[in-house]
Order: sequence, then structure tokens, then C-alpha cells
Amino acid sequence: MADNDIKTTEGQGYSRRQFLIGAGGVGIGALAGGFMVKSFFLPDSVFAVPASEGYLVVDTHKCAGCASCMLACSLVHSGETSLSLSRIQVINNVFAAYGEEDSVVQEQCRQCPHPYCAEACPTGAMHADPDNGNVRTVDQAKCIGCERCIEACPFTPSRVQWDPKKRKAQKCDLCKDTPYMTEEGGVGGQQACVAVCPTRAISFVSDIPAQTDTGYQVNLRDDNVAWALLGLPTEDDGSYAPVATAAPAPTGH
Amino acid sequence: MAGGYTGKILRIDLTNKSVSTLDSEKYQEYGGGHGMGSAVFWDLCEDKTVSGFDPKNVVTIMASPFSGTLVPAASGRTEVQGIGVQGYPIEYFTRSNFGGRFCGHMKWAGWDGFTVEGAADEPVWIDIRNGEVEFKSAEGLWGLDAVEAQEEIWRIVQNGEEKEWRELGKERTTQRPAVLTIGKAGETLSRTAALIHDAGNGAGQGGFGGVFGAKNLKAISVLGTGSVEIADPKALMDARLWSMEYAVAGHLDEDYTPLGMGSMFGGAPASGAAGYGPADQPKSPIGCLGCHKNCRARFASAASNGSSCVDYFFYHVYDQAAHGSYTQHILDATEALQRYGINSYQAEGAIIWLNNLHKEGILGPGLEIDTALDFNQLGTAEFAKQFLDMMANGYDVGEALHEGVAYAAEKWGRYEQDTASGILPLQCHGYVQHYDARTEVEWGYGSLVGDRDINEHDFNTLVFWAPSISALFGAQPACSADQLAEIMGEKLSPYNDPMMMDYSDEGIYSESMAKLVAWHRHYTRYYKQSLALCDWAWGDFFNEYGPEGRGMTGEGEPKFYKAVTGIDQSFEEGMEVGRKIWNLDRAIWILQGRDRELEVFTDYNYEVGAVPGYTTYEVPYVVPMYKDGQWVYESAVGRMLDRDKVEEWKTKFYTLEGWDPATGWPTRATLEELGLSHVADDLEAAGKLGS
Repeated sequence: MADNDIKTTEGQGYSRRQFLIGAGGVGIGALAGGFMVKSFFLPDSVFAVPASEGYLVVDTHKCAGCASCMLACSLVHSGETSLSLSRIQVINNVFAAYGEEDSVVQEQCRQCPHPYCAEACPTGAMHADPDNGNVRTVDQAKCIGCERCIEACPFTPSRVQWDPKKRKAQKCDLCKDTPYMTEEGGVGGQQACVAVCPTRAISFVSDIPAQTDTGYQVNLRDDNVAWALLGLPTEDDGSYAPVATAAPAPTGH
Repeated sequence: MAGGYTGKILRIDLTNKSVSTLDSEKYQEYGGGHGMGSAVFWDLCEDKTVSGFDPKNVVTIMASPFSGTLVPAASGRTEVQGIGVQGYPIEYFTRSNFGGRFCGHMKWAGWDGFTVEGAADEPVWIDIRNGEVEFKSAEGLWGLDAVEAQEEIWRIVQNGEEKEWRELGKERTTQRPAVLTIGKAGETLSRTAALIHDAGNGAGQGGFGGVFGAKNLKAISVLGTGSVEIADPKALMDARLWSMEYAVAGHLDEDYTPLGMGSMFGGAPASGAAGYGPADQPKSPIGCLGCHKNCRARFASAASNGSSCVDYFFYHVYDQAAHGSYTQHILDATEALQRYGINSYQAEGAIIWLNNLHKEGILGPGLEIDTALDFNQLGTAEFAKQFLDMMANGYDVGEALHEGVAYAAEKWGRYEQDTASGILPLQCHGYVQHYDARTEVEWGYGSLVGDRDINEHDFNTLVFWAPSISALFGAQPACSADQLAEIMGEKLSPYNDPMMMDYSDEGIYSESMAKLVAWHRHYTRYYKQSLALCDWAWGDFFNEYGPEGRGMTGEGEPKFYKAVTGIDQSFEEGMEVGRKIWNLDRAIWILQGRDRELEVFTDYNYEVGAVPGYTTYEVPYVVPMYKDGQWVYESAVGRMLDRDKVEEWKTKFYTLEGWDPATGWPTRATLEELGLSHVADDLEAAGKLGS
């Protein structure tokens, strides 16, 4: 999966595989989850924080690239619609084939078990929020705009982003701080991108999916009754459950 | 400044390679999009009688207050206007629009719209990044097809950083620029040429690709990193989630039965490309910006990505006839259409006509109309590519067809006879028949009193497709004829006349049918073309997911408008804005020469009965009728229009619109009532004010 392209910088000295091993270390987070502390250092100086209690997963086989999630994200957080202010980024190559790598990718924060963004923050602004299921988020009052968190994010593009008006970092908070959304957000609440996605390509889950060198795979197609009826693939190999499609929909031409 | 607007229009002067800005606030009473474009065109185009190819022609490319927002099926549609080059015998001021994301980037870059004026002395493309505008040589782009040109501009603007956050001033983006370009057909100034954006989005009707070519303009690229201000963000989010309950998007976990569906808004992902291509070829939906529906598709072969309906209809029947089912040939043929940048309706009409002439022994190798086309290969992608290459480059039969089918028919001396027999399906004003005026009259009448094939499906699904497809399968439409009349009587304000749904032999000439056509003209001019609600989703009248089968129209439009702009405008007030825009457009056509005498269908509509498959569609024509005191769906096959009764209908329509029945010209009283006294002055000065 394209959005698992991990940066490998000489100074930081971690590799893609090393990161994935770290990211796979859900146990660290799980262990720490009961301590209600924002972060701590294990004996071997590994920075660790409690595991997030929620994650967004995306089925890129369903994504239509409409960017409704991006518009909703910026709308409920900032009160305006903007792709640049969206905490989830969809990069769509409309000329690429179905199934082709990078044809359409959704770049959402993974709420990493080992959040390098939080580790890099010199003020504690980037932290796991114990009042919101340990989601990794930015305390804007503490953010000094140094951008170290943006640089530290191992993904490309960085899941931590820059708000040019506030001159501070921002990132996905699972919709906890959404002054422009009627429903309550955050863990246990509504996520704007999930609610608005017209193909149900985004889902909130409590457990991070298993990851490999090629990313993670989620299939949000096979539980959609209508998906196969529409003749759209339900399986990762492009096939779909053998459901007879009825007459063409009487829509206009 | 109301929410949803940036307050500025970018004026692009190609002759002097300079730009300036226009305050858009004075045009906001027109909504945006088409209304704003018509008003700007009126002010900027000094001589509205010039050819579309003339440098004095002004092209407007407009966003709406909904562009780049979360309003469903409205965020991504861009309206294009100016003097077109497909109208026949007059090159009427006309419109087209396209989906994708272009208008979103316009807004995020700080612009409510662009005007394109003058002509460059050499091929150029325009690079817009927020407020920075650069004219760049198109030397390296000229000759590239519509896909290659976009990919090359992406490469230039992204500077190789495809997935990184890139800085643009103080802001950042991960996005590719949105590019509107022409292909070979536009470069050669073909009247059939379209404007192409991303994959499968095209503004084809009107031939604005040829207009761009005449201006030596290969492409406009825009990349915006700003925001659209929303008056009431919470209300917009709530309205969006409310609207999703009216669509398949809100019901994906439920069973889905396409047969019987009548709601355009409720349509399903990839439905616009459903069924085309090899059945076992995997695909996923592709959507325009912010769409709730995502009706197009991305294929495993990538061929024809983003295309839908008529993009395939120009050739799909030939593929099926040649190969027994839809194959890779139709996908490859459609891909070629997009790359050449040819209006699919022109291609569709041309192939129907050529095939008919071939069957009659008139056209073929060594025949009266000599061609290298081998009709034994009709249905293959190779035939389609050869034919499209002829059209784009103007050789063989393409020497004439490069000018479009109407002008080609005139050149070959066949216009009169072939439009009388109907083997050349031009309905009126030089545009290829889309839906049959003899059966679905609101479509034909709307085109007749306007500038082009209307391509507005508001009623089409309910009065034609749903009952006709249901009849084919022996099923009942989801919306009964009774219910249809009842719903339309409720929703078609201010007329609220259920008899507007009467498509019987008497009903099609009635006062009620005049009201239906007027309502349609006013609704589409404002809500669909100015606020930019997508034609493939709105209006929403009957909706299986709605309460008691009611769709959102009447309630949804003002709800979204208020959430975005903060302006509390009733549905009926919006309809009045539509009437104003419609009259402004009418005034431009009249200055170009339009009068009552020019508003006639071609002869086949009066002389040949409507038969399924006779011109463009194979499906029987079953429509709602009021007969013996009851609403029924019945076939209208075999019907032809009565010339005298059409003329009587025109009188009713002109009178209803406040136009002079003798000429079809608006009166001063009508124009002044709409706040268009300056337009009345200009018509009077031209001797063309109705009395």
C-alpha cells in the first residue's frame, strides 16, 4: 500500500521494517494502556504511550476519490471546506487502473502504537489524549509550531500537517475537537469522514489491523449487500460474489 | 460577502497576455455558474453576433457557491458559456458543463470564475496557482492528446513531488492541479471539439474545444490551497448527512434492486458505467468532488476511466452487435474519444448517419460518398479510432464531419432530405437528437425554445426510463402514474399543476405542458446550472428512500443554499432568479437572430412516427398519460408531432413567459419586472423588443 512508504532518514536511522516491527508492537501500547499516563520510557529508552482505543481503516478498493471525507474533515474541524486543511488526504490518479498501486490512496493517521510525532514534540503538545481514548492529538495551546512532529511522521505525506493560519500542527483526533459537528466525535462517537463516505470505504475500528511490508488490507466490501448487486468486486482479487445483476438501472443517459 | 463566494472573477486576456479581476459581488444575485456567466458575458462581449471562433468571443468558466463544498452532487460541476460553434444555422450563445474537481480548485485558488477573452498569437497554456497566474508556451503540449497534456502539466506543476506536501505560498497541498484541456480536435478548430478535464469529464456541447483552439489556448491549470467559507458549517454537515438517507450511499447494507428505481439522486456508485466493458473486468467507482453518488468507474484496463452513459453510447451498440456482448472494444473506443477530445453526441450522430448512408449504398469505398472506412469492421475499436481520427484531423469523411454533422450535411447537400427521413437525427438547432421530441416532449420543447439539446434529466427518468424499462421486464414502476402526478403537483411550484405530467396526444400541446417546460427552463437555469446541482442527481422528485416517496426538491435546494451562503432564499425565489437568467439568455439569442420562425423541429419529427431505435435509443417509449379520468403509463410509439399544434403550443408558451407571441421576443414589461431594463434597452435599440 502506497501510504506505508516509510521515510528512512540517516539522522533518525530507522528502517521501514524496523518501524513496522515497532508499529506491530501493539503489546507495548496495550500494556501501557492501563496506566493512564501520557508517555513513558521503557528501560531500553524506547518511547511508548498508551495504545489508541480507536483507528480509522480505509478500503482503497472502494474509494471513489470524491474527497467527501476531506471536505467533511475540514468542515467540522475548521468551519470551512479545504483540501489543505483536511486531516485525511486522498491522492487520486484518475488515469490509473483499478487495483494499480497509487491509483487512489487515502492517507489517514494510523494512531501509531509508537507515535514518532509525539516522541519528537519538545513541549508535549503532541500527545496521547487520555480523555479521548488515547488518540494522538495536538494540544494547540502548547504547540510552538516547530514542525518536528511533521518531520518525524514516518509516512509520506506526513499525517501531521500544517495549519498556515494558526501556524501550528494539526492531525486526526478521531473528531474529538469538532466545533462544527452536531454529533459528538472521538472514540465512541462519530467520525465525519466515516459518516460522510458515500461508498462506506472508511471505518472506525477499536483494534489496529495487522500490518505487513505492503501495508494493511481491510475489506469493507463483503458486508455491503448492495456492493455485489452493483457488479462491484467484493474480493481483493477483483472478483465478486456471484450475485446475478438485474436489469440496468433506469437512469438517464 | 455571503458564504460560498470568493468575491473575484479572473479575467484572462489572451491577446495581451495579461490578467485583471472583476468584482463578483454585483453578479451574485444570479447565484453563480450559468447566471453569473450570462451576466458577465452580457457585459463583456461587446458584439454578440460574432462567430464563436472570433477573438471577440468571450468564454466564461464559472464555479458556484456550492463548488468545493460538501453539498451533494454540486461541489464539482463547472459551467462553461460563450458563443458556441455547433449551433446551426446560427452559432448560438450556449452552455456546457463538466464534472470533476476543476471548480473546487478555482474556489480554493480564490476565484468565483474565469473569463477567457481575445486570442493568443501562439499556443499557450495558463498556469494558475492561487493568486499567481502565468501564461506559458504550449509548444511542448501542442499535439498531445487530452490525457497526455494533463499528465505533462501535472508533472510540471508538481515538480516531481507526487506524494509530498508541497508548499504554495504559505499553504501546502498534496493535490494534483486540475487541468482543463483540448485534444487534437480542439487544436484543429473542429466544431465537434470538447473541453476535457481529468478522466471522463467533458464539456462537449457547443464545441468549446474548437473555441479554445481558435484562441490558441491548449489548457488552463488551476491549483488552489485555500478554503471556501461556509456560513453555517454545522447546518451544512447536518444537511449532507440528511441527504445521504435519500441515496444508495445511505443504504449500502440493504438489498438493492435497480429495476424500478426512479430517483436520480438515489442512484448507485458506478451506475453511469454499469454494464459497459467485459463483464468480468473489475472496476470501482469514480466520483466528482464531494459527490454522494460517484456514478462513474475506474476499470482494471484503465481504458475509459471516468466515462459514463453517452460516452459509451456513441459506439456500444456496434460493439455488442459485432461481438455478442460489451467487450474491451467499447472501452478502448471511448478512451480514444476522450483523448481526441470529441463531443460524444457529435460522434454518436455521425456514426448513426454514416451507417445509415452505408446501408443505403450511398457511403462506402468507391461510392457517392467515398470513404476508406470498412463497415465490416464496425464495432471494433480500430474502426472507432480510424473514424475519430478522421473527425479530429479533417480528412476522408472527416473533412466534412470536422465541422460537425449539421454543417457536414449542408456541405454534402443532404441536410434537408436526411433530416426529413430522420436518418440524420438532428432534432433542432443543429443538435443530435438525445430524447425523442415526439414522445418525451418536455425534452424536445426545451431544446426547441433554447439553444441546444437540453441534456436535463429531471423528468426523463420518471416519465421515460422507469416506465419503459419496467414495461420491458413486465414490472410496475416504483412510482405509479397516479403518484407521479400527485408529487409533481406538489413540487412544481409555482404552477403546481398535476396535468403537467400528461404526455397524451392532447396533453403534449396543452397549457399544462407549457407550464412544465417553463418550470424546467427556470429550475435548471438557476438550481442546476447556476448553483451547479448535477444533472445526474437533481431535481429529486420521487425518491424511494424519501418519506412517502417524496424526494428533496423544494426543501433540499434552499436548505443547502442557506447553509453555505447564509441567505434565506425560498425555493420560489430561486425559481424567479432562474426565470431572470432564462430571459437574459433569450435576449442574447434574439440579438443573434432568433425569432419564432427559427423555432421548428426538423421534418422527421412531423413526418415519421417515433419507433424505438429509430434514431438513438432502443427502448420503447412508455410515458404517463391522463386518459378517461385516470393516470396510466402507455406507449407513445408511432406518434409524430402535428405542425399546427406545435405552433399553437408555442403561442401558449410565449404568452406564459411574457413574450410577444408573434416573434417570441420578450416584452419590456417582462424584462423590467425581472430587473432587466438594460437588456430591454439593448433589444429595443436593435429593433428586437417584443410588443
